[in-house]
Amino acid sequence: MRADEVLVAHHDVLRGLLRELAGTTDAQTGQRRRLRAEFLRELEVHAQIEDELFYPAVADVSPLLSVAHAEHRQIDDQLATVMRTAPDDPEFATEVRMLEATLHHHTVEEEQRMFPQSHALGEERLQELGRRLQERQRELTRSGAMRLIVRLKRTVLRLV
Amino acid sequence: MTVHGLLERALGAVERWQVLDAPGYQVEHGVSLTFLLAGRYARPLQDLLHGVWLGHPLHPALVTVPVGAWAAALVLDGLDAAGRGGPGTGQAARTVVGIGVAGAVASAATGFTDWQHAHDGARRVGLAHAALNSTALALYAWSLRDRGRGRARRARLSGAAGFAVTLASSWLGGALAYRHGLGTDHADRSPEPRRFTAVADESDLVEGEAVGVEVDGRPLVLVAQAGTVRAVGGRCPHLGAPLGEGWLHRGELVCPWHGSRFDLDSGEPAQGPSTAPLPCYDTRLRDGRVEVRRRAHWRTPTAVTTVEEASR
Repeated sequence: MRADEVLVAHHDVLRGLLRELAGTTDAQTGQRRRLRAEFLRELEVHAQIEDELFYPAVADVSPLLSVAHAEHRQIDDQLATVMRTAPDDPEFATEVRMLEATLHHHTVEEEQRMFPQSHALGEERLQELGRRLQERQRELTRSGAMRLIVRLKRTVLRLV
Repeated sequence: MTVHGLLERALGAVERWQVLDAPGYQVEHGVSLTFLLAGRYARPLQDLLHGVWLGHPLHPALVTVPVGAWAAALVLDGLDAAGRGGPGTGQAARTVVGIGVAGAVASAATGFTDWQHAHDGARRVGLAHAALNSTALALYAWSLRDRGRGRARRARLSGAAGFAVTLASSWLGGALAYRHGLGTDHADRSPEPRRFTAVADESDLVEGEAVGVEVDGRPLVLVAQAGTVRAVGGRCPHLGAPLGEGWLHRGELVCPWHGSRFDLDSGEPAQGPSTAPLPCYDTRLRDGRVEVRRRAHWRTPTAVTTVEEASR
C-alpha cells in the first residue's frame, strides 16, 4: 500500500470509532469508556507514525505541515476534554460531536490537500514509505511502552 | 555589509534552520502536557496568558518588566562601578535584578503559550528567542545569587552579559511580531461593503453550520441558526486560518487550525489563541438572496459610518 492509502485506512478506523462513540446514549457508560480509550490508543499511534515518518518525508512537497500539526494538537486537546467528561454527563455527546468535527476537518485536509501533494514523491517512494508506516504502526500497536504511555495519559486525564 | 543586511541574513538562517523542528515539537509536547495537567483550568489559564482578556497579546506588554528592570540594574551597576552611586545603590540594583528575574519567568509563561501555535519559520525564530531568553535569565539568576554573597564585581559582569543577550533576543522578538506577524491582527478590517450586497442564495445556508462565501474577493462566514443569519469575517485574526472551514460548538464558531472560538453576535473571541474580535456584518434576506453589509462598530478602528447610516 502507498503511504497515503495506509493513512486513509487508519483515518477510517479513527472515524469509525468516533461514529460509534457518537451513536451511544448516556446510559451506555461502559461502551463510552471502552470506545474513547480505544480512540485514544489509535490516535496516539496515528499521530506518532505521521510525526515520525510521514511528515518529515513530505516536508519538501507540502506547505501544510504546521497546519496538520496544529490540528493534531486541537484533536488532542478536545480528546482531553472528552476524557474529563463523565460518560453519563449530558454534555458528553456535545463534546464528542466537537471531537468528530475536529477530526473530520483534519482528515479531510490531509486527504484532499496534503496527500495529493505527497504524490510528488513518486510511486516508488510512497510504496516504500507505506511499508514503513505499516510496520511502525504494527510495532507501536504491540509495544508495551506505548500501552503504558496511553494508560498513564488516560489516568492523568481522568484525574485532572 | 550593512547592519541591516547582516541582521537579515541572521534572521533568514534561523527561519530556514529545520534542525530546530524536532526539538521544537518536543518542547511543544512539554508545553501541551503542562497545560493538560491543569485539566479544566487549562483553557482559562491559556486565555489569561495569551491576553484574550486584554484584546492583544500579553507577552509584549509583560516583557517590559524584565527589560526595564534589567536596564535600571545596568545603570545602577554602572554608577556603582564608577564609585558614584552612593550608599544603597548595590541594594537597589539587587532589588531590580530580582524584579527582572520574576518578570522574565512570567514573560516566559506568556511567550511559550503564544509560541506553541506558531508555524514554520516563526516557530524556529521563537525557539531561538526562547533559548536566548533562557540564557539571559540564567545569567541574571547567577548575578542575583552573587549579589547576595557580596561578589559585586562578578555579579555586575554577569548582569551586563545578560543584558547583551536580552538585547539580541529582543531583536528576534521584534522580528516575530513585525515580520512574522505573530500576535498581530490577521482579520480583514475593510469597511466594505458599505451597502447591502448579495453574497449567497438562501438555499446555500445550512442550519447550524458555517458556510464560507466571498464578498469582493474577501472571505466571509455565514451561519444560519434558529431563524437568524449571522455573518462574520472569514479569516481568523490569530493567524489567518480559513474560518469557512470551521464549525460550530455551543453556538460559537471554532477556528479549524488552533481552536479559537468566536461569539457570532459580537465577533469577540470566547476562547484564544485569538485575542482580537472578528469583524461582523449586518445581514438581511431579499428575494431568496442573503445580503450583507459591514457593521459599523465603535470597537472597530477602521469602520467608517456611511452617509446613509449617519442620516438614519
